Amino acid sequence: MKHLYLREKARCAFAMAILLSSPLAAEAGVYDLTVDNVTIDIDGIQKNGIGYNGASPGPVLRFQEGENVTINVTNNLDEATSIHWHGLILPFQQDGVPTISFDGIKPGETFTYRFPIVQSGTYWFHSHSGFQEPDGAYGAIVIEPNKREPFRFDRDYVVQLTDNHPHRGSRIMRNLKMMPDYYNRQQQTLGEFFDDAAKKGFGATIDDRMAWGNMRMMPADIEDLQGFTPLMNGRSATQNWTGLFKPGERVRLRFINSSAMTYFDIRIPGLKITVVNADGNNVQPVRVDEFRIAVAETYDVIVQPEEDKAYTIFAASMGRSAFGRGTLAPREGMAAAVPVLENRPLLTMADMGMAHGDMAGMDHSNMKGMDHSNMKGMDHSNMSSGAKPDPFYAPGSGLAPKTTDNGRKFLSYTDLKAQKPLYKHRKATREIELRLTGNMERYIWSINGKKYQDDEEIRLKLGERVRFKFVNETMMSHPMHLHGMWTILDTGAGKWNPIKHTVSVAPGTTVYTETEVDAPGQWAFHCHLSYHAASGMFRRIVVEGPETAQLEVKE
Amino acid sequence: MINMRKLSETFAIAAVCGAALLGASQVWASGSHGGGHGTSMPIGMPGKASEADRTIDIRMLDNYYEPESISVKAGETVRFKITNAGEFVHEFNIGTRAMHEDHQKEMMMMMEHGALEPDRINHQMMKMDMGHGKTMEHDDPNSVLLEPGKTGEVIWKFSEAGNIEFACNVPGHYQAGMMGKVNFK
Repeated sequence: MKHLYLREKARCAFAMAILLSSPLAAEAGVYDLTVDNVTIDIDGIQKNGIGYNGASPGPVLRFQEGENVTINVTNNLDEATSIHWHGLILPFQQDGVPTISFDGIKPGETFTYRFPIVQSGTYWFHSHSGFQEPDGAYGAIVIEPNKREPFRFDRDYVVQLTDNHPHRGSRIMRNLKMMPDYYNRQQQTLGEFFDDAAKKGFGATIDDRMAWGNMRMMPADIEDLQGFTPLMNGRSATQNWTGLFKPGERVRLRFINSSAMTYFDIRIPGLKITVVNADGNNVQPVRVDEFRIAVAETYDVIVQPEEDKAYTIFAASMGRSAFGRGTLAPREGMAAAVPVLENRPLLTMADMGMAHGDMAGMDHSNMKGMDHSNMKGMDHSNMSSGAKPDPFYAPGSGLAPKTTDNGRKFLSYTDLKAQKPLYKHRKATREIELRLTGNMERYIWSINGKKYQDDEEIRLKLGERVRFKFVNETMMSHPMHLHGMWTILDTGAGKWNPIKHTVSVAPGTTVYTETEVDAPGQWAFHCHLSYHAASGMFRRIVVEGPETAQLEVKE
Repeated sequence: MINMRKLSETFAIAAVCGAALLGASQVWASGSHGGGHGTSMPIGMPGKASEADRTIDIRMLDNYYEPESISVKAGETVRFKITNAGEFVHEFNIGTRAMHEDHQKEMMMMMEHGALEPDRINHQMMKMDMGHGKTMEHDDPNSVLLEPGKTGEVIWKFSEAGNIEFACNVPGHYQAGMMGKVNFK
């Protein structure tokens, strides 16, 4: 289907023997990628976009742990480009962020990336230039481990999601700057105002709308970009990407969310889902019914369809404005029922940070607003699963995942426990507070109230363990992505805290992560929502350390 | 470490587990009970060391077995020598798929209540007398639950051919593939 031009895969003599004794000397693969203007076909409508080797999504790059890769990237566009290897641990000059790692790749130029593969798992790659990634410039990376994995499977599929939009990214950014609710088709209407007034009283409804107005937000602001078509491996719900299985086989699905802006809630009706890997790192297997995948995250899951029938992979956008769909089937051409989108969630006062913020400042009308939307939501999501409320959402949050049926389990970050912790657990040497801030009316997103252009870099010292305190003061979820070094998410599990590259911080919450600062150089650190990163929620991180440690690679 | 609320919850859970374990012992003895469960499959019975026909070594790793399946003869008594060579707690349990599913629920509760941690067993909590002489301890003849580095033994007489699996019912492990078929020759 997709072709990766594997020019040469030189193997040392006695490769097997060397492989066993010294994993680093094993292989050296050379890969060629072209960055091209491509046509993306969605339900028969041709759209111009950007892709790799002539297609979007690009190829699945398959590497071996311990391999030294050489990747020649030829830019066939008439503008500069770049490729960032999302989640890979590598020398900073190879990280592919223009102005931070390198100068970018000019039109007509070929840039050669060279780095060792020091990890295994599921990752992805994308352009870090302009809005080429939302325009289609993304692909998957699968790295085979040297050691046997702590799970078994008979089939292995990448399931890469995106939110393809009919507008090009640069146009979307212009429109959002001009009118931040340009793409919000779910605004509350005058009709809803009168409905609410009848239910809650006119005064309370006015107060409620005024409160939201003061926040420069609206309860339906879960997706600030709507009108997109979710794609699964480049295919729409109608085009129905299909993965084949024989009944009884274990199927590994490598979910990657390469969306510009959209979180997805994923389920496969009729199948339990065992999550075995998050962001490339194995987790202790956990059995769930549904899970949410933030932008830029990856989750590897194992399912075991027993029956000779089709199963639908259903990916509902978090704001429930659209869904992606694919199928697992014993034979081509089969399909299963496709669920309908459940009621769309509404943000609550808890998502405004009211629960954590100044409670005294809240008047009774706000409280009422909270009662109405939130408590119900809580009953459904948290009580039914029999679990405690998910601490990664503000108490009473309208965004807290709701399972579709009682007794079903929705994955929480607290369920993720490292299978093999990469670092010894120790106390952080210092804490850095990062408030996630924004002004929705002007579509400015920032950190500690400052845009990327207006603030200095964050300086870290090689060898320290830094604790980041993320305080989300906005009403949107932000998938924060640190380049070059792992992010240990503090779920309260101590040495079992999961190791990630992207951590979603929900509205009204404070989330702590820790990073062992083990990679010298300079790195990007940003919200992975494309239009948030572009409008300022972005920082440069500089890791200062002795020259000798310059190219040292973590074990 | 162990707070009182946890303890009282543990008592409640243990009562449930005790009842379930009792249920399990009825299943493997169902041949003699002539039990009403039409679908339940006799899996055999505890064997005597003196009658063991042979020994099978089982290595438990994270999260899989070596070997991944075994072959036995109906009527044969097998001594299983089990080593946990992994870094997590693992179980070797002989049963039907349905029995394993039931046991997984109990193990999930044990984990939720702190009696079982990823890499250690809280023996004190497991040993607590829940009344009626019941505990959460894994002392059933068809299974062993081992911490990393520990070894154990199961002597089992396979009575007749059936859909029998050996499995680790630590939460998530079975689904990740830590189970194997008992094939009848």
